[in-house]
Amino acid sequence: MHENKFAAIFKQNAIWLVFILEIIIFAVASEGTFTTQRNIINISRQVSYYGIASIGMTFVILIAGIDLSIGSIITLVNVVCAWLMVRAGVNMWIAVILSLVMATLIGVLNGFMVATIGIPALIATFASQTVFEGIAYLISGGMPIAGFSPSFGMFGRWSVGLVPVCAIIMIVCFAVGSFILNKSYFGRYFYAIGGNEEASELSGIRVNKMKYLIYALSGFFAGLAGIVLLSRSMSAQSTIGKGFEFDVITCVVLGGVSVNGGIGRMSGVVAGVLIIGSLTNGMILMDVSEYTQMVVKGVVLAVAVGIDCMSKKRNAN
Amino acid sequence: MYELDLRLKDYYDELDPKRRLEILDTFAEDESVKFLRELYCERYSDHENKGRKNVDWWLWRCICLQILYGRGNFFRKFRDKEVKLILDELYVDDTHKNFLYHEYRNLARRYLSTCRGANYASRFMGFRQASDEEKVLKACADIWQMSKGIAKLTGLEERMQVFIEAFYDELMNFSPLCHAEYERLNQ
Repeated sequence: MHENKFAAIFKQNAIWLVFILEIIIFAVASEGTFTTQRNIINISRQVSYYGIASIGMTFVILIAGIDLSIGSIITLVNVVCAWLMVRAGVNMWIAVILSLVMATLIGVLNGFMVATIGIPALIATFASQTVFEGIAYLISGGMPIAGFSPSFGMFGRWSVGLVPVCAIIMIVCFAVGSFILNKSYFGRYFYAIGGNEEASELSGIRVNKMKYLIYALSGFFAGLAGIVLLSRSMSAQSTIGKGFEFDVITCVVLGGVSVNGGIGRMSGVVAGVLIIGSLTNGMILMDVSEYTQMVVKGVVLAVAVGIDCMSKKRNAN
Repeated sequence: MYELDLRLKDYYDELDPKRRLEILDTFAEDESVKFLRELYCERYSDHENKGRKNVDWWLWRCICLQILYGRGNFFRKFRDKEVKLILDELYVDDTHKNFLYHEYRNLARRYLSTCRGANYASRFMGFRQASDEEKVLKACADIWQMSKGIAKLTGLEERMQVFIEAFYDELMNFSPLCHAEYERLNQ
Protein backbone atom coordinates (compact mmCIF):
# COMPACT_ATOMS: atom_id res chain seq x y z
CA MET A 1 0.00 0.00 0.00
CA HIS A 2 2.80 2.38 1.05
CA GLU A 3 4.80 1.31 -1.99
CA ASN A 4 1.83 2.13 -4.23
CA LYS A 5 1.42 5.51 -2.57
CA PHE A 6 5.12 6.23 -3.01
CA ALA A 7 4.95 5.16 -6.66
CA ALA A 8 1.94 7.41 -7.25
CA ILE A 9 3.63 10.43 -5.64
CA PHE A 10 6.81 9.69 -7.62
CA LYS A 11 4.81 9.44 -10.87
CA GLN A 12 2.94 12.67 -10.19
CA ASN A 13 6.13 14.61 -9.49
CA ALA A 14 8.52 12.91 -11.91
CA ILE A 15 8.57 16.04 -14.09
CA TRP A 16 10.08 18.06 -11.22
CA LEU A 17 12.81 15.45 -10.78
CA VAL A 18 13.61 15.81 -14.48
CA PHE A 19 13.93 19.57 -13.92
CA ILE A 20 16.27 19.11 -10.94
CA LEU A 21 18.35 16.60 -12.89
CA GLU A 22 18.60 19.02 -15.80
CA ILE A 23 19.83 21.80 -13.50
CA ILE A 24 22.49 19.51 -12.00
CA ILE A 25 23.70 18.43 -15.46
CA PHE A 26 23.96 21.99 -16.77
CA ALA A 27 25.50 23.27 -13.52
CA VAL A 28 28.24 20.65 -13.74
CA ALA A 29 28.73 21.01 -17.51
CA SER A 30 28.96 24.81 -17.36
CA GLU A 31 31.23 24.71 -14.30
CA GLY A 32 28.80 26.73 -12.21
CA THR A 33 27.94 29.46 -14.73
CA PHE A 34 24.43 28.04 -15.14
CA THR A 35 23.56 28.53 -11.47
CA THR A 36 24.90 32.05 -11.03
CA GLN A 37 22.39 34.65 -9.82
CA ARG A 38 22.71 36.55 -13.09
CA ASN A 39 21.91 33.50 -15.19
CA ILE A 40 18.96 32.48 -13.03
CA ILE A 41 17.48 35.96 -13.45
CA ASN A 42 18.14 35.65 -17.17
CA ILE A 43 16.31 32.29 -17.29
CA SER A 44 13.34 33.77 -15.42
CA ARG A 45 13.14 36.50 -18.08
CA GLN A 46 13.45 33.99 -20.92
CA VAL A 47 10.78 31.63 -19.61
CA SER A 48 8.29 34.39 -18.78
CA TYR A 49 6.77 34.71 -22.26
CA TYR A 50 6.69 30.94 -22.77
CA GLY A 51 5.01 30.64 -19.39
CA ILE A 52 2.38 33.30 -20.11
CA ALA A 53 1.51 31.87 -23.54
CA SER A 54 1.44 28.30 -22.23
CA ILE A 55 -1.49 29.06 -19.91
CA GLY A 56 -3.87 29.68 -22.82
CA MET A 57 -2.43 26.72 -24.70
CA THR A 58 -3.05 24.50 -21.65
CA PHE A 59 -6.75 25.36 -21.74
CA VAL A 60 -6.90 24.66 -25.48
CA ILE A 61 -5.10 21.29 -25.26
CA LEU A 62 -7.27 20.32 -22.28
CA ILE A 63 -10.32 20.40 -24.54
CA ALA A 64 -8.42 18.29 -27.09
CA GLY A 65 -7.79 21.28 -29.33
CA ILE A 66 -4.68 23.12 -30.49
CA ASP A 67 -3.80 26.73 -31.26
CA LEU A 68 -1.08 27.12 -33.88
CA SER A 69 -1.80 30.83 -34.27
CA ILE A 70 -0.16 32.02 -31.06
CA GLY A 71 3.19 32.65 -32.76
CA SER A 72 1.57 34.95 -35.30
CA ILE A 73 -0.55 36.61 -32.57
CA ILE A 74 2.68 37.42 -30.73
CA THR A 75 4.18 38.81 -33.94
CA LEU A 76 1.09 40.85 -34.77
CA VAL A 77 0.80 42.23 -31.23
CA ASN A 78 4.47 43.23 -31.43
CA VAL A 79 4.02 45.02 -34.72
CA VAL A 80 0.64 46.63 -33.98
CA CYS A 81 1.58 47.82 -30.49
CA ALA A 82 4.85 49.26 -31.81
CA TRP A 83 3.09 50.85 -34.80
CA LEU A 84 0.48 52.45 -32.54
CA MET A 85 3.10 53.88 -30.19
CA VAL A 86 5.72 54.96 -32.72
CA ARG A 87 3.85 55.74 -35.93
CA ALA A 88 0.38 56.72 -34.63
CA GLY A 89 1.61 58.38 -31.43
CA VAL A 90 -0.90 56.55 -29.24
CA ASN A 91 -0.37 56.53 -25.47
CA MET A 92 1.55 53.44 -24.29
CA TRP A 93 -1.24 52.08 -22.07
CA ILE A 94 -3.90 52.54 -24.75
CA ALA A 95 -1.64 50.82 -27.30
CA VAL A 96 -1.13 47.90 -24.92
CA ILE A 97 -4.87 47.58 -24.21
CA LEU A 98 -5.79 47.82 -27.91
CA SER A 99 -3.20 45.16 -28.77
CA LEU A 100 -4.54 42.82 -26.09
CA VAL A 101 -8.12 43.37 -27.31
CA MET A 102 -6.98 42.57 -30.84
CA ALA A 103 -5.23 39.37 -29.67
CA THR A 104 -8.36 38.30 -27.79
CA LEU A 105 -10.51 38.96 -30.85
CA ILE A 106 -8.21 36.81 -32.97
CA GLY A 107 -8.81 34.09 -30.37
CA VAL A 108 -12.57 34.63 -30.72
CA LEU A 109 -12.19 34.28 -34.49
CA ASN A 110 -10.38 30.96 -33.95
CA GLY A 111 -13.22 29.92 -31.65
CA PHE A 112 -15.75 30.82 -34.35
CA MET A 113 -13.94 28.71 -36.95
CA VAL A 114 -13.60 25.73 -34.63
CA ALA A 115 -16.89 25.79 -32.72
CA THR A 116 -19.38 27.35 -35.13
CA ILE A 117 -18.06 26.40 -38.56
CA GLY A 118 -16.56 23.11 -37.38
CA ILE A 119 -13.13 23.40 -39.00
CA PRO A 120 -10.61 21.13 -37.23
CA ALA A 121 -8.60 23.23 -34.76
CA LEU A 122 -5.27 22.38 -36.43
CA ILE A 123 -6.44 23.67 -39.82
CA ALA A 124 -8.36 26.69 -38.49
CA THR A 125 -5.51 27.97 -36.36
CA PHE A 126 -2.95 27.19 -39.05
CA ALA A 127 -4.99 29.32 -41.46
CA SER A 128 -5.16 32.22 -39.01
CA GLN A 129 -1.43 31.82 -38.32
CA THR A 130 -0.73 32.40 -42.02
CA VAL A 131 -3.21 35.29 -42.33
CA PHE A 132 -1.99 37.23 -39.29
CA GLU A 133 1.66 36.65 -40.04
CA GLY A 134 0.99 38.16 -43.45
CA ILE A 135 -0.84 41.12 -41.91
CA ALA A 136 2.12 41.72 -39.56
CA TYR A 137 4.41 41.87 -42.63
CA LEU A 138 2.02 44.23 -44.40
CA ILE A 139 1.91 46.62 -41.43
CA SER A 140 5.64 46.66 -40.78
CA GLY A 141 6.74 46.31 -44.40
CA GLY A 142 9.17 43.67 -43.11
CA MET A 143 11.18 46.35 -41.28
CA PRO A 144 11.75 46.57 -37.51
CA ILE A 145 9.84 49.26 -35.61
CA ALA A 146 11.71 50.81 -32.71
CA GLY A 147 11.96 54.04 -30.75
CA PHE A 148 9.46 53.63 -27.88
CA SER A 149 9.43 55.53 -24.66
CA PRO A 150 11.92 53.95 -22.18
CA SER A 151 9.06 53.45 -19.72
CA PHE A 152 7.68 50.74 -22.04
CA GLY A 153 10.59 48.61 -20.86
CA MET A 154 8.83 48.14 -17.52
CA PHE A 155 7.16 44.87 -18.63
CA GLY A 156 10.28 43.11 -19.89
CA ARG A 157 13.35 44.88 -18.53
CA TRP A 158 12.56 46.28 -15.13
CA SER A 159 12.87 44.38 -11.87
CA VAL A 160 11.38 44.55 -8.40
CA GLY A 161 14.43 43.88 -6.24
CA LEU A 162 16.04 40.88 -7.89
CA VAL A 163 12.84 39.60 -9.47
CA PRO A 164 12.14 40.72 -13.06
CA VAL A 165 8.70 42.26 -13.63
CA CYS A 166 8.07 39.81 -16.50
CA ALA A 167 8.60 36.89 -14.09
CA ILE A 168 6.10 38.48 -11.70
CA ILE A 169 3.59 38.82 -14.56
CA MET A 170 4.14 35.13 -15.38
CA ILE A 171 3.65 34.07 -11.76
CA VAL A 172 0.42 36.10 -11.51
CA CYS A 173 -0.80 34.57 -14.79
CA PHE A 174 -0.03 31.04 -13.55
CA ALA A 175 -1.91 31.80 -10.33
CA VAL A 176 -4.91 33.02 -12.34
CA GLY A 177 -4.70 30.00 -14.67
CA SER A 178 -4.46 27.64 -11.72
CA PHE A 179 -7.43 29.33 -10.06
CA ILE A 180 -9.49 29.01 -13.25
CA LEU A 181 -8.63 25.31 -13.58
CA ASN A 182 -8.99 24.24 -9.96
CA LYS A 183 -11.38 26.59 -8.30
CA SER A 184 -13.80 27.88 -10.93
CA TYR A 185 -16.60 26.15 -12.77
CA PHE A 186 -14.95 27.09 -16.04
CA GLY A 187 -12.01 24.84 -15.18
CA ARG A 188 -14.37 21.97 -14.56
CA TYR A 189 -16.04 22.63 -17.90
CA PHE A 190 -12.66 22.53 -19.66
CA TYR A 191 -11.83 19.12 -18.18
CA ALA A 192 -15.34 17.84 -18.88
CA ILE A 193 -15.30 18.93 -22.55
CA GLY A 194 -11.88 17.34 -23.03
CA GLY A 195 -13.02 14.11 -21.39
CA ASN A 196 -16.38 13.66 -23.12
CA GLU A 197 -17.77 16.50 -25.19
CA GLU A 198 -21.15 14.92 -25.88
CA ALA A 199 -21.82 14.11 -22.22
CA SER A 200 -20.81 17.66 -21.31
CA GLU A 201 -23.36 19.00 -23.78
CA LEU A 202 -26.07 16.73 -22.36
CA SER A 203 -25.28 17.78 -18.82
CA GLY A 204 -25.96 21.41 -19.74
CA ILE A 205 -22.55 22.87 -20.58
CA ARG A 206 -22.66 25.27 -23.52
CA VAL A 207 -19.76 23.61 -25.27
CA ASN A 208 -19.54 26.04 -28.17
CA LYS A 209 -19.51 29.08 -25.88
CA MET A 210 -16.78 27.46 -23.83
CA LYS A 211 -14.71 26.90 -26.97
CA TYR A 212 -15.05 30.58 -27.84
CA LEU A 213 -13.92 31.48 -24.33
CA ILE A 214 -10.97 29.10 -24.39
CA TYR A 215 -9.63 30.30 -27.74
CA ALA A 216 -10.19 33.91 -26.63
CA LEU A 217 -8.15 33.23 -23.47
CA SER A 218 -5.45 31.61 -25.59
CA GLY A 219 -5.36 34.72 -27.77
CA PHE A 220 -5.25 37.00 -24.73
CA PHE A 221 -2.36 35.18 -23.05
CA ALA A 222 -0.46 35.04 -26.36
CA GLY A 223 -1.04 38.80 -26.71
CA LEU A 224 0.29 39.41 -23.19
CA ALA A 225 3.35 37.29 -23.97
CA GLY A 226 3.81 39.42 -27.11
CA ILE A 227 3.74 42.64 -25.07
CA VAL A 228 6.33 41.29 -22.62
CA LEU A 229 8.53 40.14 -25.51
CA LEU A 230 8.26 43.53 -27.22
CA SER A 231 9.09 45.31 -23.98
CA ARG A 232 12.16 43.13 -23.57
CA SER A 233 13.47 43.57 -27.11
CA MET A 234 12.24 47.18 -27.50
CA SER A 235 11.99 46.54 -31.22
CA ALA A 236 9.09 44.99 -33.13
CA GLN A 237 10.02 42.47 -35.79
CA SER A 238 7.73 40.62 -38.12
CA THR A 239 9.51 37.29 -37.50
CA ILE A 240 9.68 37.39 -33.72
CA GLY A 241 6.93 34.84 -33.05
CA LYS A 242 7.97 32.32 -35.69
CA GLY A 243 8.00 28.78 -34.31
CA PHE A 244 6.94 30.05 -30.88
CA GLU A 245 3.85 27.82 -30.84
CA PHE A 246 5.94 24.65 -31.01
CA ASP A 247 7.99 25.64 -27.97
CA VAL A 248 4.80 26.42 -26.07
CA ILE A 249 3.15 23.13 -27.11
CA THR A 250 6.32 21.32 -25.98
CA CYS A 251 6.15 23.05 -22.57
CA VAL A 252 2.49 22.12 -22.12
CA VAL A 253 2.74 18.50 -23.28
CA LEU A 254 5.99 18.00 -21.35
CA GLY A 255 4.09 19.28 -18.30
CA GLY A 256 1.72 16.31 -18.55
CA VAL A 257 -1.25 17.83 -20.37
CA SER A 258 -2.57 15.04 -22.56
CA VAL A 259 -2.88 15.70 -26.30
CA ASN A 260 -6.07 13.63 -26.12
CA GLY A 261 -7.67 16.18 -23.79
CA GLY A 262 -9.17 16.09 -20.32
CA ILE A 263 -5.97 15.44 -18.36
CA GLY A 264 -3.39 17.89 -17.02
CA ARG A 265 -2.39 20.20 -14.21
CA MET A 266 -1.10 23.76 -14.19
CA SER A 267 1.73 22.77 -11.80
CA GLY A 268 2.99 20.33 -14.44
CA VAL A 269 2.95 23.09 -17.06
CA VAL A 270 5.09 25.30 -14.77
CA ALA A 271 7.62 22.46 -14.64
CA GLY A 272 7.42 22.03 -18.43
CA VAL A 273 8.10 25.73 -18.97
CA LEU A 274 11.06 25.70 -16.57
CA ILE A 275 12.53 22.62 -18.25
CA ILE A 276 12.31 24.09 -21.75
CA GLY A 277 13.56 27.51 -20.55
CA SER A 278 16.53 25.97 -18.74
CA LEU A 279 17.26 23.66 -21.66
CA THR A 280 17.36 26.58 -24.08
CA ASN A 281 19.50 28.66 -21.74
CA GLY A 282 21.80 25.74 -20.95
CA MET A 283 22.35 24.97 -24.62
CA ILE A 284 23.18 28.63 -25.31
CA LEU A 285 25.70 28.58 -22.45
CA MET A 286 27.22 25.39 -23.85
CA ASP A 287 27.52 27.14 -27.20
CA VAL A 288 25.21 24.68 -28.96
CA SER A 289 24.24 25.93 -32.42
CA GLU A 290 20.68 27.17 -33.07
CA TYR A 291 20.03 24.30 -35.49
CA THR A 292 21.09 21.70 -32.95
CA GLN A 293 18.81 23.41 -30.41
CA MET A 294 15.92 22.95 -32.84
CA VAL A 295 16.74 19.26 -33.16
CA VAL A 296 16.89 18.82 -29.38
CA LYS A 297 13.57 20.65 -28.83
CA GLY A 298 11.92 18.59 -31.56
CA VAL A 299 13.15 15.39 -29.92
CA VAL A 300 11.86 16.59 -26.52
CA LEU A 301 8.41 17.27 -28.05
CA ALA A 302 8.35 13.83 -29.70
CA VAL A 303 9.42 12.12 -26.47
CA ALA A 304 6.79 14.03 -24.42
CA VAL A 305 3.97 13.12 -26.82
CA GLY A 306 5.34 9.58 -27.10
CA ILE A 307 5.26 9.12 -23.31
CA ASP A 308 1.67 10.41 -23.24
CA CYS A 309 0.60 8.00 -25.99
CA MET A 310 2.46 5.05 -24.48
CA SER A 311 0.91 5.60 -21.06
CA LYS A 312 -2.52 5.61 -22.75
CA LYS A 313 -1.64 2.40 -24.58
CA ARG A 314 -0.35 0.75 -21.42
CA ASN A 315 -3.55 1.69 -19.58
CA ALA A 316 -5.59 0.20 -22.42
CA ASN A 317 -3.65 -3.07 -22.27
CA MET B 1 -31.99 -7.60 -5.70
CA TYR B 2 -33.54 -4.30 -6.72
CA GLU B 3 -37.03 -5.04 -7.94
CA LEU B 4 -38.28 -3.25 -10.98
CA ASP B 5 -41.86 -2.00 -10.91
CA LEU B 6 -42.86 -3.11 -14.41
CA ARG B 7 -45.23 -0.17 -14.78
CA LEU B 8 -42.17 2.08 -14.64
CA LYS B 9 -40.00 0.10 -17.05
CA ASP B 10 -40.56 2.55 -19.91
CA TYR B 11 -39.69 5.44 -17.65
CA TYR B 12 -36.40 3.88 -16.61
CA ASP B 13 -35.56 2.80 -20.16
CA GLU B 14 -36.15 6.24 -21.65
CA LEU B 15 -33.15 8.58 -21.90
CA ASP B 16 -34.83 11.73 -23.23
CA PRO B 17 -35.88 13.96 -20.30
CA LYS B 18 -38.99 15.32 -22.07
CA ARG B 19 -40.22 11.86 -22.95
CA ARG B 20 -39.53 10.74 -19.38
CA LEU B 21 -41.67 13.56 -18.03
CA GLU B 22 -44.51 12.57 -20.32
CA ILE B 23 -44.32 9.02 -19.01
CA LEU B 24 -44.15 10.27 -15.44
CA ASP B 25 -47.24 12.40 -16.02
CA THR B 26 -49.25 9.28 -16.74
CA PHE B 27 -48.69 8.37 -13.07
CA ALA B 28 -49.88 11.75 -11.79
CA GLU B 29 -52.40 10.22 -9.41
CA ASP B 30 -50.06 7.56 -8.09
CA GLU B 31 -48.68 8.45 -4.66
CA SER B 32 -46.07 5.69 -4.79
CA VAL B 33 -44.14 7.43 -7.57
CA LYS B 34 -44.17 10.82 -5.89
CA PHE B 35 -40.51 10.31 -4.99
CA LEU B 36 -39.68 9.73 -8.66
CA ARG B 37 -41.15 13.12 -9.52
CA GLU B 38 -38.96 14.69 -6.84
CA LEU B 39 -35.93 12.92 -8.31
CA TYR B 40 -36.89 14.11 -11.78
CA CYS B 41 -37.05 17.73 -10.65
CA GLU B 42 -33.72 17.47 -8.85
CA ARG B 43 -32.03 15.75 -11.74
CA TYR B 44 -33.15 17.97 -14.62
CA SER B 45 -33.19 21.43 -13.08
CA ASP B 46 -30.51 24.06 -13.45
CA HIS B 47 -29.04 24.22 -9.94
CA GLU B 48 -26.66 26.99 -10.96
CA ASN B 49 -29.55 29.22 -12.10
CA LYS B 50 -27.86 30.11 -15.37
CA GLY B 51 -31.11 30.04 -17.31
CA ARG B 52 -30.06 26.95 -19.23
CA LYS B 53 -32.42 24.45 -20.76
CA ASN B 54 -31.79 20.72 -21.15
CA VAL B 55 -29.69 20.37 -18.05
CA ASP B 56 -28.96 16.93 -16.65
CA TRP B 57 -27.58 18.01 -13.30
CA TRP B 58 -26.90 14.49 -12.12
CA LEU B 59 -24.94 13.69 -15.26
CA TRP B 60 -22.86 16.80 -14.60
CA ARG B 61 -22.25 15.76 -11.01
CA CYS B 62 -21.08 12.33 -12.23
CA ILE B 63 -18.63 14.04 -14.58
CA CYS B 64 -17.47 16.12 -11.60
CA LEU B 65 -16.87 12.91 -9.63
CA GLN B 66 -14.69 11.68 -12.48
CA ILE B 67 -12.75 14.96 -12.60
CA LEU B 68 -12.25 14.81 -8.83
CA TYR B 69 -10.94 11.26 -9.21
CA GLY B 70 -8.41 12.56 -11.77
CA ARG B 71 -7.09 15.09 -9.27
CA GLY B 72 -5.71 12.26 -7.13
CA ASN B 73 -4.74 13.21 -3.60
CA PHE B 74 -4.05 16.88 -4.20
CA PHE B 75 -6.26 19.05 -1.95
CA ARG B 76 -7.58 15.83 -0.42
CA LYS B 77 -9.69 17.57 2.21
CA PHE B 78 -11.47 19.78 -0.34
CA ARG B 79 -11.97 16.81 -2.64
CA ASP B 80 -13.55 14.65 0.03
CA LYS B 81 -15.81 17.49 1.13
CA GLU B 82 -16.99 18.06 -2.42
CA VAL B 83 -17.55 14.37 -3.09
CA LYS B 84 -19.81 14.19 -0.03
CA LEU B 85 -21.71 17.24 -1.24
CA ILE B 86 -22.22 15.63 -4.66
CA LEU B 87 -23.41 12.40 -3.06
CA ASP B 88 -25.98 14.37 -1.07
CA GLU B 89 -27.23 15.91 -4.30
CA LEU B 90 -27.42 12.46 -5.89
CA TYR B 91 -29.50 11.19 -2.95
CA VAL B 92 -26.85 8.56 -2.24
CA ASP B 93 -27.75 6.65 0.96
CA ASP B 94 -31.38 7.70 0.78
CA THR B 95 -33.89 5.14 1.96
CA HIS B 96 -35.61 4.74 -1.45
CA LYS B 97 -32.91 2.40 -2.70
CA ASN B 98 -35.10 0.63 -5.23
CA PHE B 99 -36.07 3.82 -7.05
CA LEU B 100 -32.54 5.16 -6.82
CA TYR B 101 -30.91 2.02 -8.20
CA HIS B 102 -32.98 2.17 -11.38
CA GLU B 103 -32.55 5.93 -11.70
CA TYR B 104 -28.77 5.53 -11.39
CA ARG B 105 -28.85 2.85 -14.05
CA ASN B 106 -30.69 5.28 -16.31
CA LEU B 107 -28.03 7.88 -15.50
CA ALA B 108 -25.19 5.50 -16.33
CA ARG B 109 -26.96 4.49 -19.54
CA ARG B 110 -27.28 8.12 -20.56
CA TYR B 111 -23.56 8.62 -20.01
CA LEU B 112 -22.74 5.45 -21.92
CA SER B 113 -24.98 6.57 -24.79
CA THR B 114 -22.45 9.35 -25.43
CA CYS B 115 -19.56 6.90 -25.57
CA ARG B 116 -20.25 5.65 -29.08
CA GLY B 117 -19.95 9.08 -30.74
CA ALA B 118 -17.32 9.88 -33.37
CA ASN B 119 -15.39 12.29 -31.12
CA TYR B 120 -15.37 10.12 -28.03
CA ALA B 121 -11.89 8.92 -27.01
CA SER B 122 -10.39 10.43 -30.16
CA ARG B 123 -6.62 10.90 -30.22
CA PHE B 124 -4.17 13.64 -31.18
CA MET B 125 -6.49 16.64 -30.86
CA GLY B 126 -9.32 14.80 -32.56
CA PHE B 127 -7.32 13.78 -35.60
CA ARG B 128 -7.54 10.03 -35.04
CA GLN B 129 -10.89 8.51 -34.23
CA ALA B 130 -10.91 5.79 -31.62
CA SER B 131 -11.75 2.19 -32.52
CA ASP B 132 -14.83 0.58 -30.97
CA GLU B 133 -12.63 -1.32 -28.54
CA GLU B 134 -10.83 1.84 -27.46
CA LYS B 135 -14.18 3.53 -26.88
CA VAL B 136 -15.39 0.65 -24.73
CA LEU B 137 -12.19 0.68 -22.67
CA LYS B 138 -12.43 4.42 -22.10
CA ALA B 139 -16.12 4.15 -21.21
CA CYS B 140 -15.20 1.46 -18.67
CA ALA B 141 -12.52 3.67 -17.17
CA ASP B 142 -14.92 6.65 -17.03
CA ILE B 143 -17.68 4.67 -15.31
CA TRP B 144 -15.23 3.03 -12.91
CA GLN B 145 -13.64 6.37 -11.98
CA MET B 146 -16.97 8.12 -11.30
CA SER B 147 -18.29 5.26 -9.16
CA LYS B 148 -15.97 2.64 -7.70
CA GLY B 149 -12.77 4.64 -8.24
CA ILE B 150 -13.81 7.78 -6.40
CA ALA B 151 -15.45 5.66 -3.67
CA LYS B 152 -12.16 3.80 -3.12
CA LEU B 153 -10.17 7.02 -3.12
CA THR B 154 -12.40 8.66 -0.53
CA GLY B 155 -13.25 5.57 1.53
CA LEU B 156 -16.96 5.92 0.79
CA GLU B 157 -17.53 2.49 -0.77
CA GLU B 158 -20.15 1.48 1.76
CA ARG B 159 -22.16 4.66 1.37
CA MET B 160 -22.00 4.49 -2.41
CA GLN B 161 -22.89 0.81 -2.65
CA VAL B 162 -26.19 1.24 -4.57
CA PHE B 163 -24.65 3.81 -6.87
CA ILE B 164 -21.65 1.57 -7.63
CA GLU B 165 -23.85 -1.48 -8.22
CA ALA B 166 -26.14 0.40 -10.58
CA PHE B 167 -23.25 1.76 -12.61
CA TYR B 168 -21.55 -1.64 -12.68
CA ASP B 169 -24.72 -3.45 -13.81
CA GLU B 170 -25.33 -0.93 -16.57
CA LEU B 171 -21.73 -1.12 -17.73
CA MET B 172 -21.94 -4.90 -18.04
CA ASN B 173 -24.76 -4.42 -20.56
CA PHE B 174 -22.63 -2.08 -22.61
CA SER B 175 -20.07 -4.52 -23.98
CA PRO B 176 -18.74 -8.01 -23.21
CA LEU B 177 -15.27 -6.48 -22.86
CA CYS B 178 -16.32 -4.50 -19.81
CA HIS B 179 -16.15 -7.25 -17.21
CA ALA B 180 -12.44 -7.98 -17.59
CA GLU B 181 -11.59 -4.30 -17.86
CA TYR B 182 -13.58 -3.43 -14.73
CA GLU B 183 -11.80 -6.17 -12.79
CA ARG B 184 -8.45 -4.89 -14.02
CA LEU B 185 -9.31 -1.37 -12.88
CA ASN B 186 -10.42 -2.69 -9.50
CA GLN B 187 -7.00 -4.21 -8.98
